[in-house]
Amino acid sequence: MKKLAVFAIIVLIFGTVSPSLVNGVYGQNDPSILLRIAVQADKQIVNQLDRVYGDQIPTNLQILYDKGHGSVYSLDQSLPDDIEKAKQDFLLAMNSFMQISRIISQSSEKVVVVTASNTSRNSDSEIDRLEKYVKTLETISKKYNTDTESDFIKIHDLIQKLRIQINNGYGEYDDVINQIKIILDSIKNDIRESALEQRSDFIKRFLDRLLTQVDRQLTKAQDHGVDQTQIDKGHELILEIRELLSKNQIKDAQVIFVELKGLMENIGYSIRIT
Amino acid sequence: MASFMEPTQLKQSLGDDGILFVRNDSILDTMVKTLLLIASMIIVAALLPIQSSFSSPRDLDLIIYPDGSTHISTEIDIDPFLTDYELNLFGNTIDNLVVVGDNEFLLDTRIMDDSVLIQTFGSSVITIDYDIHDLVSKQGRLWTFSLDSPSNFTLLLPKNSAIVGMINLPINMEIINDQNQLTLSPGKTEIDYLFSNTISNSLSNTKIETNYFSYAIIGGVLLIILIGSVIIIRTKQKNHKSIEPNETTKKNTTLDLETIFKLKSDLREDDKELVKFIFNNEGEALESELRKKFLQPRTTMWRAVKRLEREGVIEIEKKDLQNLVKLRKNMEEEE
Repeated sequence: MKKLAVFAIIVLIFGTVSPSLVNGVYGQNDPSILLRIAVQADKQIVNQLDRVYGDQIPTNLQILYDKGHGSVYSLDQSLPDDIEKAKQDFLLAMNSFMQISRIISQSSEKVVVVTASNTSRNSDSEIDRLEKYVKTLETISKKYNTDTESDFIKIHDLIQKLRIQINNGYGEYDDVINQIKIILDSIKNDIRESALEQRSDFIKRFLDRLLTQVDRQLTKAQDHGVDQTQIDKGHELILEIRELLSKNQIKDAQVIFVELKGLMENIGYSIRIT
Repeated sequence: MASFMEPTQLKQSLGDDGILFVRNDSILDTMVKTLLLIASMIIVAALLPIQSSFSSPRDLDLIIYPDGSTHISTEIDIDPFLTDYELNLFGNTIDNLVVVGDNEFLLDTRIMDDSVLIQTFGSSVITIDYDIHDLVSKQGRLWTFSLDSPSNFTLLLPKNSAIVGMINLPINMEIINDQNQLTLSPGKTEIDYLFSNTISNSLSNTKIETNYFSYAIIGGVLLIILIGSVIIIRTKQKNHKSIEPNETTKKNTTLDLETIFKLKSDLREDDKELVKFIFNNEGEALESELRKKFLQPRTTMWRAVKRLEREGVIEIEKKDLQNLVKLRKNMEEEE
C-alpha cells in the first residue's frame, strides 16, 4: 500500500514537472538562430541604405543603424552564455532595423499601404494556391471514390494551360480561373454527397441522440412556462427531422436541425449530447 | 476550539520501560483517504490537458506566397458532443476553404465575416485549410506580416525574402528549399521582410553557437533512457536468448518496392511517392525529412504517415523526440 502511494506520488511529481521541462528545452532551442536572423537583417539593411542613399545616409538612419549593428555585435558576444541578454539584444537590433526599413520605404517611394487582397496578387501565387486547393480536394475525393476523375484531369489541364499562358506573357487568365472554380464547386458538392452517403448511419445515430435530448429539454422548458407555441414548433421540427432521417434525406434533415437549434437557443437551451 | 484539536481515536499507554505507545485506530482510514486523494489528483491531472486542449489548435502552419496571400492549415481538437463549432478566422478575405473532420469527412461550413461556422456533427478533430489575404501588407518594397496567434505556429516565408525586422523572439528557424521557416510563440507577431536577389548565404555561414545548458538537459535525459534501455535489453537477453536468431533472419527480409505495391495495390499515388522515398532512403526517414522533401504541412504529412501505418506499410518509432518512419519488413506475414 505504502509503495503504491509512493509510486503514485512520484508519477504525479514527474507528470507535473516533465511538461515544463520539455517546454523549457524547446523555448531555448538553439539561440544561435537569433544571431543568424539578426546578421541577415543587418546585411539587408546595409544593402538598402547603400542602394537608396549611397554615401549620404541621413543622420537619423545612421544613428538607428549604429544602434542596431551594435546590438548584433552585443548579441554575438552574449551567446552562448547569457541567453537573456542575447534575447534583449536581438529584439533591440530587429526593432532598429524595422524602423530603418520602414523609414526607407516611406521616404524613397510613394507610400502605399495595402493588404495583399487589394493589389499585387501575383498570378503564379494564385495558381500555386489553387493547385494546393485542388490537391486537397483530390485527396478527399479519392477517399470517397467519387466519380470526379475526369473533372480533375480537366482542371490539371487548365492549370497547365494557365501556366503556359503566364510564361508567354498573356495577361487574361481570370476566365480560366473562374472556370476551374466552377468545376471545383461541383466536385465539392459531389464529395459532400458521397461522404454523407457513406457516413449516413453515423449521422443518423448522432442526430437521433440529439433529438431525444431536445425532446427532454422541450418538456423541461414546458414545465418552466416557456411559450407553448415555441414548444409545439420544436416538437413539429423534431417529427419532421425524424421523418427525413427515415427517408435517408440526411442533408434536408441537417437543414431543419439547424432551424431547431436556433429555436432552442431562442428559448434558452443549447443542444449538446450529455 | 481546543476540543477540535484533540485526536478522537488516539489511545496512549505508557509501557513498562517508559516508552510512550501511540495507537491510531484511524490509520486504515487515513491510508484510504490518502489513496483516494492521490487517485483524484491523478484523474484531475489527466483531465486538465484534455479540457484545455478542446478548441485550441493542435497545429498551426502558415505559408506566405510571393504576393502576400497566406495559406493557413490548422488542426483543432473539438468537443465531439457538439453539433457545430465556430472558429475565428484571421481575417475576412477567405479563399479555398476546406474543412474536414474525422476520417477526412468533408464538413459543411458557413463563413460569417471573420469567422466560420462548421457543422461538426460528432467529429473530434477538424482540419481546416484556407487562403487569406489580410495578414500581409505592403508599403513600398517592404512587406509586413502581422498576426495575433492563439498558439505556437510555423511560418514559411517566400523564396528570396529576407527578414529585416521583427518584434518577437522566434522559437526556431529552419531552411526548407531555400525558404525560411520560423516557429513562433502565441501572441502578437509582426515581421517585416523584403525581396532581394542578393540574399547571402549568411544563414548557413553564421557562427553557430551552442546552448550548452539545453544540451546538458537533453543529454541527461538521453543518458537515463540509454541506461534504462541497456538494463532492459540485458534483462531480456538473459531471459530470451533463443529469440535472437529469428529476429536476425527477419531483418534480412527486406521487400522490394514492386512487392510492396503489389501487396498494397490500393495505396494512393502520393502515399506511393512517400514509400518510394523511404525505400530509397535505406528504408527509413524522419517525418520532418518527409515534410521537407514533399513540402507538406505538418498535419498533412502526419495524416499520410498515420495512413501508411494503418495500411501496415510502415511503422513509427521515436528517435531523438522525432518520429522515425520505417518500412515494415514483415508485410507479407500481415497479409
